[in-house]
Parts: sequence; structure tokens; C-alpha cells
Amino acid sequence: MGSDVTSFASLAPIFPEMAIAIGAVVLLLVGVVINKERSIGISYAAIVLLLVVAALTMFQGQDGILFNGTFIADGFSRYMKALVLGGSAFALMLALPNAVEQGVHKFEYAVLVLLATLGMMMMVSANDLMTLYVGLELQSLALYVVAAIKRDDSRATEAGLKYFVLGALSSGMLLYGASMVYGFTGTTNLPAILAQITAEGRSIGLIFGLVFLLAGVAFKISAVPFHMWTPDVYEGAPTPVTALFATAPKVAAMALMVRLVSNTFAPIAHDWQQILIFLSIASMVLAAFAAIGQKSIKRLIAYSSIGHVGFALVGLSAANQGGVEGVAIYMAIYVTMTIGMFACLLSLRTENGEIENIEDFAGVAQTRPYVAAIMAVVMFSLIGMPPLAGFFAKWHVFLAAIDAQLYLLAVIGVLASAVSAFYYLRIVKLMYFDEPRQTFAAVPNELGIIMGISGFLLVTYYFTVGGALAGVAHMAAGSLF
Amino acid sequence: MSLPQFFFYVFSTIAVISALMVISSRNPVHSVLFLILVFLNASGLFLLAGAEFLALLLVVVYVGAVMVLFLFVVMMLDVDFGSMRQGILQYMPIGVVIGVIFLLELLLVAGSFVIAPQLGGVATIPIDMGVQNTRALGLVIYTRYAFLFEGAGAILLVAMIGAIVLTLRHKVNVKRQDPAIQTARRPADAMKIVKVKSGQGL
Amino acid sequence: MGLEIGLGHYLTVAAILFTLGVFGIFLNRKNVIIILMSVELILLAVNLNFVAFSAALNDLQGQVFALLILTVAAAEAAIGLAILVIFYRNRGSIAVDDVNMMKG
Repeated sequence: MGSDVTSFASLAPIFPEMAIAIGAVVLLLVGVVINKERSIGISYAAIVLLLVVAALTMFQGQDGILFNGTFIADGFSRYMKALVLGGSAFALMLALPNAVEQGVHKFEYAVLVLLATLGMMMMVSANDLMTLYVGLELQSLALYVVAAIKRDDSRATEAGLKYFVLGALSSGMLLYGASMVYGFTGTTNLPAILAQITAEGRSIGLIFGLVFLLAGVAFKISAVPFHMWTPDVYEGAPTPVTALFATAPKVAAMALMVRLVSNTFAPIAHDWQQILIFLSIASMVLAAFAAIGQKSIKRLIAYSSIGHVGFALVGLSAANQGGVEGVAIYMAIYVTMTIGMFACLLSLRTENGEIENIEDFAGVAQTRPYVAAIMAVVMFSLIGMPPLAGFFAKWHVFLAAIDAQLYLLAVIGVLASAVSAFYYLRIVKLMYFDEPRQTFAAVPNELGIIMGISGFLLVTYYFTVGGALAGVAHMAAGSLF
Repeated sequence: MSLPQFFFYVFSTIAVISALMVISSRNPVHSVLFLILVFLNASGLFLLAGAEFLALLLVVVYVGAVMVLFLFVVMMLDVDFGSMRQGILQYMPIGVVIGVIFLLELLLVAGSFVIAPQLGGVATIPIDMGVQNTRALGLVIYTRYAFLFEGAGAILLVAMIGAIVLTLRHKVNVKRQDPAIQTARRPADAMKIVKVKSGQGL
Repeated sequence: MGLEIGLGHYLTVAAILFTLGVFGIFLNRKNVIIILMSVELILLAVNLNFVAFSAALNDLQGQVFALLILTVAAAEAAIGLAILVIFYRNRGSIAVDDVNMMKG
């Protein structure tokens, strides 16, 4: 019953988590001691830490199973961890300009983001239902606080409260499912559950457990019909916090979903496939139509993100390696697009602070052509226009669906894409063809750089990173099958 | 009816009725008190199932700490609960229908639940009747599940940071004691010895 | 030691508590504190499930899981109440119907 950790070197697969955990605690201590005016330095340190760990995890990370099978590091987890770490780092960067106005200038913000990221890494590396739960809760609890961190703002606190209540409900459902699965298979270890299901087949208890588990995770990725918190929370939370919510936690929850369905519950693929197809279609269709009537840009982004989760689920529904590969690529491109979009949104500031309504984009091209150009690229990429990155993301998942003979799903996906083009193009039209109604402040350097990176990657995807990303995603997906 | 069965029915009946009262009573203070009753009875159910440590933990941590926290917040917020009663029944009928269907489904699963038949006694960590429950748990959580233990620690850290960052307010006008300044104070800072010449004053 | 009372009995009690918890979240129009208490009920129901399975399977893992859930639930209660307190400070109310600034 002893531990399988024999020396410090045997901990190598978990070094990324250790680095983040120690970093968070050290930064917390430093933050308490230093002067309040300098606490933004904590954010810089956290960004550097996240980026360094992301690079090391991707290129130097070691694979292995540790702690008696509760933790796993494999190609898939390293890919997703790099994505999660990168997403968190860029979301923190977006918070640097105007931090005081957004309420994210406290050093606790960076520390909480680091701890949330640690939770996400645990989710991605979960090899046991208990690890899954602990990671998920670490992530969620930190994010509930972050949502309400602008504590004097009544919309932010309402967002925090809504996020908390629905998040707690979803954890409850997930746990109920986990208990059913444990009851049927007699173990919480994911490979052991796989072995049990392979040997025993299915039972009503197991299916029920699976349904509850998937419902719990669907809450976290905000797939329809578990999406109702998303628009309110996205609208109410400070914009840099919304940028965080839309990227890293979604990647982590999606990674969790992928590992659960395509590995642990692979023998009963027929059962979960139906659930995922339903979630996917509902998300794509509802998001496409609900976004059209929105006035607030952040609500629009919320529906857009719900739609993109639907598209990613198309790949997962295919239940084959190509599908998982597609999901991996999709999430990477989705994060790039979302970060670029939020950089544009945050850089457009009038004398009244940041813009809130879609109408406020009118005439941006005349005063801020650079921002307008990047925003247009992001919008076309979100639609899935070739040769932008967004096209290849959709191409991979639809191809996997067609491989799995899910023709209807693919057709609905393409149609939903076409409908969603309407509201993305409306922003482009407003920016380029309408008269400006207000003047915008100069773009902060950090945001300009982030926009530039995002725009460059999206435009040149096919010629630069596309091949490499597909190769890495192929390896990542391979480690699950 | 054997004694454990008798107690099972007593505990579970009281737990279920109290849980119903938690969500239906009009005064939140009553809700909290009923929730305490639910936890106490659930603790009895835990005992019957042989989870002594968890049973006591439920009493110590839940009844002792968490419920007191709830009660504290209910009192502190000082809400006028009398004015909050309107519109309770608005969604009641449809809610009851859905709730009952949901419950029946869960009961169907609970009643027909079968543990995978071939499992026969190959538990991951078999419960050894010779070892006390607390000791048995202690033997695994610091070794086999050390990783999860650390994770739980991180969660508690988040809870601490979160509660402080959200609710702590430094009041500007309040005089605070700073021991460092107090102990660093020298006679020279505090006193000035003045020679007063007689008859001249200061 | 196994269970002296059938597993189904325990699962039934847990299912009823779970339903009451979910019911409490959705039907409550009065105040948010009741919702937080409903969350506690849900987690208690899940714990009961785990403990019952642990006894029926003669396996300690379920109890370890329940232990983790207890820990997390306490942390969750602390954060939930903290968010509730700042919500009250901003609005002066904790009625569920007042959690409605954002709609669309």
C-alpha cells in the first residue's frame, strides 16, 4: 500500500503541477509583503511562470502514471496542459492594461488564476474519478471567486453568485454520476473502470452514472441545455475575467470529456454517442439563432463560445481517433481566436470606458484600422472562412464526423456555421461601413502585440503552424487509443 | 425487525422529513436548524454502514463548523424574511411533477442497482475488520492518495484566499494596534524632558 | 463487513435527499441561502451513496472519496457564503428574484 514515489526524480511527470503550485504559494507570500502599488508585478511573474511551464511541458514533459494510478501524464495531457497554461497566461496578459478599472489589479487575482490553472492541469491529468473531482473543484472554486473579484460591482457579484450556484449544482450531478459508476464497477480508477466495463458490459446503473457525469461536465463546457449560466456570467464578470472563462477552463473541461468518453467509456460508445450528438446539435443550433438578437458584445461572445463547443463536440461524437485529433486542433485554434477577439475588444476604449454594445463597433476601421483588421480576421476565422485557421478547425471535426457516417450531424454543423456568419459579419459591416460615433483611445502595447500574434497565426495557419499542430494533435490523440 | 434495521428506518425517516423542511420552511433559521438535524441523522446512517470516522467528521465539521457559519451569515445579513414570501407557489405544480418523475427514475435505478457480478470481493482497498476505520483511512490518505490530499489542501487554500479577498475590508478610520511600532518605540520618541525654569512657565 | 441493511435502502434515501436538493435549488424563490443549503443536501446525498457502496463492496475507496467531498463541500460553503455576503452588500437583498440584472 506504499507510495510509488521513490525519489525526487521519479516525480518528473508531475513537475509542471509542482512548479505552478509552488509558484502560486510563493507569489502569494510575496504579494502580501510587497507594496500594493507594485502588486501588478505579481501578474507579470505569473505570466512568465505559466509560459515557461507551458513550453517545458510541451517539449520536455515526461510521461508516466504516478501516485498509485491517480495521476497520468501522456501525450494528450501534455498537449492539453500546454494549451491550458498558454490560455491562462494570455488571459492574464489581457488583464494588464486598465487593471484597476477592471478590478483585477489585486495580486490575489494572479494567485487565484494560478491555482485555477493547477486545478485544470489536475483535470487534464486525471486518471481517477477522485482526481477528476478534486481538480474540477479546485478550478471551479478559484473561478467563482475570480468572477466576483470586482466586489463593489453589482453585476460582477451577481455573475459570481450565478456561476457559483449552477456550478455547485453541476458538481453535485457529476458526483452522483461518479458514485453510480463507482458502485457498478467497484473502483474509481479510470483504466480499472474501462477494464470492468469491457468485462461486464453495461447496466442501467452504469448508464445513469454516465449520463450524470456527462451532464456535470457539459455544464463546465457550457453545452446546451446546460448553458444558461454562460451569457449572464460572461456579461457580468470583468472583461479580462471573461476572456479567461472562455479559454482555459473550457479546454480543461473538454479534455476531461474527451478522456472520459473516448477512453474510459469507449466500450459503451453507442450510449454516449447519442448524448454527445444531442449536445452538439443543440449547442450549434441554439447558439447560432440566439446570438443574432444580442445587443451586448459579451453576450454575443458567450453564445459564440457555446456554438464553438458544439462544433468541437461534433468531432468527439465521431468516436474515432480522427475526431479526438479534430477536437484537439479545434480547441487550440478556438483559444487563439478567442484571445485575439478579447484583445480587440479590450483595446477599444472610449471616454466612458470599455465598449459594451455591438453598435459601438461602428466605424472602428476609420479611427483604429489595425484593430478593425485583426477583428475582421478573427470574425472570418470564427465563421470558418478558408484559408483562415477557423476553417481548418471545422474541417477536421466535420471530416471525422463524415468518417463515422454521421452525415446529418455534419450537415447541421455546416448550416449552423452559415447562420452564425450572419452575426459575425454584422460586426465586420459595422466596423467598415458605418460612420464612427465615438473616438477611441490609443491601443495599449500589450494588447497590440497579443492581437498581432493572434492575427498572424490565424492568417498564416496553413503555411506555418498548421502542419506542426496537426502532427502534435495526432500524437496526443494517439495516446488515448 | 432487527435493531440496525430499526435505527436505519428511524434515521432515514427523520433525515428525509427534515430535508423537506429545509427547503420548505419560511424562516431560514429554521432551515439551518433542520439541516443540522439532517446531518445528525445522516451521521447515524454512516455509522450503520461502518463509516465511523466520516460519521464523526460529519458531526464535528458540518454541525460544528459549517452550519454555525450558515447560521452566522443568516443572522448577519439581517434580511427582512417576512417580506419574502410572495410568489413561492408560482412554479410549484410543474416543479412537483418534474421532481416526482426525477425521483421515480432515481428510485428505479436505486432499487434495481446491481454491482457488477464478477466483481466478487476484489476490492481495491479491502476493509479489514481488524483495523479501526480511522486508522484504515489514515493509512491510505497520506500514502496512496497523497496527491489528492495535496489537492484538497490547495482547495482549502483557495477557499481561504477567496473568502478574504471578497469580504475583508480595511476600514480607514479605525485605529489599529501595530505591535512592531509599539515595541520599536524609544523613550526619545515619546518623551521630551524639559527643564522648566521656576517662575517663567513654558 | 458488508451491509446489514440492503444497498437499495441506502440508495433510496440518497436518491430522495438528492431530489430534494435539486428541487430546493430550482423551486426556491425566497432567498439564496436556501439554495446554498440545497447544495449541501445534494453533496450529503452523494456521500451517503459513496458510503453505502463502500460498505457493500467492502472497499475503502468510497470512504476516501466521501472524505474528499466533505472537505471540498466545506470550502464550497465558505466561498458561497462569501459571495453571498458581497452580493448582499451591493444589493441589500438576497431574494432569488433580485438576481436578475442581466437578461437576454
